[in-house]
Amino acid sequence: MASLDYAYRRLVNTLGPERVARSEFERMVYSHDFASLPKIALLQWKLYPDFVALPQTTEEVAALVKLSDESLLQITPRGGGTGWYGGSVPNRGGVMIDMRKMNHVVAFDPDGRKVTVEAGVTWKDLEDFVESKGFALPVVPVNAIGSTVGGAINSGSSGFGAPRGGSLRDAIAFLKVVLPDGTILKTASEADADGHLANLTPLFFGAEGTLGVITEATLRVVAKPEASKAFAYAFPSLAAAARFVTDIVDSAIVPYHAAVASRDHFIFERALRPDSPDPADIAIVAVQGSKDEVADQERSVDVLAAKESGAKLAPAVTDPLWRDRYDNYSARRLSRGLVTSYNLVPVGRLPEAVETAIEIRDKLKLNGAVQAFLVDSTTAALVPYVLMDDTRPSGGTALGFVKRMGDAAFKMDGHSMGLGLFLVFNLRKMHGRATSFISSVKVVFDPRKKINGGKTLEVWTKYPWPGLRAIPPPGMAVGLEIAAVLRRAKPTRDRFVRAYEHGKEE
Amino acid sequence: MGLLRDWNYIEKAVQIPALSEVIREALIRALFVRDDRVLPRDLIGDLNRVPPVTVKVKDDGEVRKLVRVLNGQESTVSLGLSAEDYHYFRTQLGVGRTREFGAVMRPRILLTYDWIVPEQRGVQLDFNGYAGIEFADDAHRAIAQVGATWKQLYDGAPAKGHAVPFVPTVPLDFAIGDALYGDAPFASYRGEFASHVNALRTISPFGHRARLGFEEVANNGTAYDLLHATVPLAAEFFIPVAVALRLEAKPAAGKTLTYAFDDGPKLAVALDKLSRTTQMPAWAHVTDAVAAKILRPAVAAEAFTVQVSVGGTTSGLAPKEKAIDTAMAGFKSKSAEVSNPFDVPADAFRKTADTVVRSLFVGEVRVPAKAVGDFITKIRALGDQSAAKAGVYASLRATGTVSTFPFFAAPKDRSKVYDLSKGVRAIASRIPGAAFTSRLAHLWEEEPNFMRRMAFLRSLKVTIDTAHVVQPLVSP
Repeated sequence: MASLDYAYRRLVNTLGPERVARSEFERMVYSHDFASLPKIALLQWKLYPDFVALPQTTEEVAALVKLSDESLLQITPRGGGTGWYGGSVPNRGGVMIDMRKMNHVVAFDPDGRKVTVEAGVTWKDLEDFVESKGFALPVVPVNAIGSTVGGAINSGSSGFGAPRGGSLRDAIAFLKVVLPDGTILKTASEADADGHLANLTPLFFGAEGTLGVITEATLRVVAKPEASKAFAYAFPSLAAAARFVTDIVDSAIVPYHAAVASRDHFIFERALRPDSPDPADIAIVAVQGSKDEVADQERSVDVLAAKESGAKLAPAVTDPLWRDRYDNYSARRLSRGLVTSYNLVPVGRLPEAVETAIEIRDKLKLNGAVQAFLVDSTTAALVPYVLMDDTRPSGGTALGFVKRMGDAAFKMDGHSMGLGLFLVFNLRKMHGRATSFISSVKVVFDPRKKINGGKTLEVWTKYPWPGLRAIPPPGMAVGLEIAAVLRRAKPTRDRFVRAYEHGKEE
Repeated sequence: MGLLRDWNYIEKAVQIPALSEVIREALIRALFVRDDRVLPRDLIGDLNRVPPVTVKVKDDGEVRKLVRVLNGQESTVSLGLSAEDYHYFRTQLGVGRTREFGAVMRPRILLTYDWIVPEQRGVQLDFNGYAGIEFADDAHRAIAQVGATWKQLYDGAPAKGHAVPFVPTVPLDFAIGDALYGDAPFASYRGEFASHVNALRTISPFGHRARLGFEEVANNGTAYDLLHATVPLAAEFFIPVAVALRLEAKPAAGKTLTYAFDDGPKLAVALDKLSRTTQMPAWAHVTDAVAAKILRPAVAAEAFTVQVSVGGTTSGLAPKEKAIDTAMAGFKSKSAEVSNPFDVPADAFRKTADTVVRSLFVGEVRVPAKAVGDFITKIRALGDQSAAKAGVYASLRATGTVSTFPFFAAPKDRSKVYDLSKGVRAIASRIPGAAFTSRLAHLWEEEPNFMRRMAFLRSLKVTIDTAHVVQPLVSP
């Protein structure tokens, strides 16, 4: 392996000194993603990259990837860092490629209804751009403000608009990817050939940056709706709100978005913003269409809400809720961190799923809330989150919560989302005997495991020695199970919820 | 069906010194039409050889056993054959493993044409008898065994409260599996067939049951989405035996709106405009006069007919119809009484399908909606030049792409298929944004990115099917 100083000089020669960082502070920023990690994790992984590189073009990314043949340093691509499972943090240091300087719209084709953007553009910026041209995006990931185009594609994300617009996978026309050998590949035909003409795009959807570095995406855009409207209802329980969502699916209404959030979520919101809605189990539904259609859908949805005793909230409450829809995790400011568990469950089992999430949270004595939204006619995303303090040993319990939630999703015939560094043990649960097919993909594209190696399919440690080189995925599962009981051993007060209840009594 | 196999064969063939002087396209033609003036006779003999054994599958356990025999894990005795059959099987397959052989799935109906390089020595699997459908009670899903017909699924769903959103653009009596190992053109307005597939139940090349995707939920965030990357070619990686499909709730009310257009430009404008609205019909089906006459012989055929299937709440239907009427401005006449090709009794559907299948199809051309009128005019001209009356079945997608299936009234001989395919390719190449996606078009394409993608798919196939059992690749 070349010395780090030599590698640094080569990187600087490629990008210039202003776009290569190696100070400890800068590297620290990249040592975690949305979830903060207990310091103990540093014993296992070299979470700090050796260098952070900020390329501005596809060719520069290709040059960086080729350089790793000399330096033998791992490449870890990173977008907005809004992932949850360590997919975009290094496990053996190496070169972190921060894609956020590649944040331009490359081309917009209103006739072909396509927009080509660099991978570092955030979804919110892209949405604003597309809307300014009189179009809309079929799907917008939940964390649109921070999430980048490349990041969401690598996570196999879903989000707003999915019930109408379909999977984000189908919204991708093609990608430009730098492969592990430094060459550039377009993953599908430029003409709309669907799955024909060797469309490899689905392989990169959810690949967590392990097959190559996505540098550009050409996405489909759709017509801006003539009318759209969001309405919210408060329900007596979260399960009732979830039943309301399943009723929407059974009624053949196809909303733009349908989501539920537990009362605790609004308690956290209230702690941060006094003008947030009165805490309650709330469902929010957005519909699109012609003006007449929107009015008709609203009437139909009102009837379904009334069936579950849902009380419609005033537009003064609903409108800010919808306006701030991308700001889902402001509760993070209440603690030192926040951990989200992202799972897909069958729509019919959503009421059971939200109750299970609350049960698990309470059993582990964590502060948290439950959110869920509709993905398609069979699938709902269950996205509970818990607050976390990574400076305490019990902070690890939050990671144990993610494991327990994933197990519950599998029991309900669904699955957890994301594998990254921490949840690789779920791979076999997800794919069973097809796991070897999935692993074949990495073998074909990146046989030397240069790009984001030691994740998604296996868990590398920072140690290069045989025996310690990798952790058996079930070992990670056991570790997270142990983490899950830490907090139970030391009960703590649910301070935000109690503070709210106390204030209300007074 | 056999795309990777054919592509690999061509790639290897162009490397043979004796054939290297023959340019790629001429070689493809020679192989496709079995031209004995260009190719050696023994090669033609090999190409014309069909699998000697056909197994009618009744249970996926049989397929597992068969695969294990094919990859040498078990002897043919475990198939439970009589001594006589065993001997036949053994000699036909050459069980000594001195020759490459594998399993190949036979489509129920093939819209276009057979493979260039057939599975010469292996086993053909006939799934027509493996045709059960299981509808979920608590969700809008179904698991269809690959031999189940689309019509069976479509007709069975409403009784369980579901609706099947995808239809075959060319209304033939396809099995669901034909979309995986044949060329069945299933699609809905909102998406292609693959977008309605939650999972595949497969038999791996090692004889294991392996599920790709998730039967109950979408396949997001679970590493590489191999399922959707391989749906059109699934049967070259594993043996799919059942498909978990995502259906929709049966709407309270539904209607088929039929619009007639008297010229192509108006049709194109209307289709483009419809796809630029927020309307989400289940499907939007287009026929020209020739196709309409085949589908509805008793009705006077208009130059172009567009049928749009809308569903929703009873009160919601009227606003939808109004919005679609506005988008379709320019139509000559409109009716809600004309029957559509799909909502007819099974016998009538099959009868029509028997007529439809007589035409010569060359594959799918995907055309931007704005160019569809121009495309159809050019196809007609091609038909006139070739003395084969041409027509088109098509369906519109929400993306603004029209999936068209040109057909010709001509005998289905391979030379004719080849020449017409070439003509269609020439037309598609002159229309910006159009793509010809037939098997021949894949073999002709030499764009570097495409060639690399195909090479990746071939590597993936070889890595997954290390036993060389599922349509193994062959070289000349």
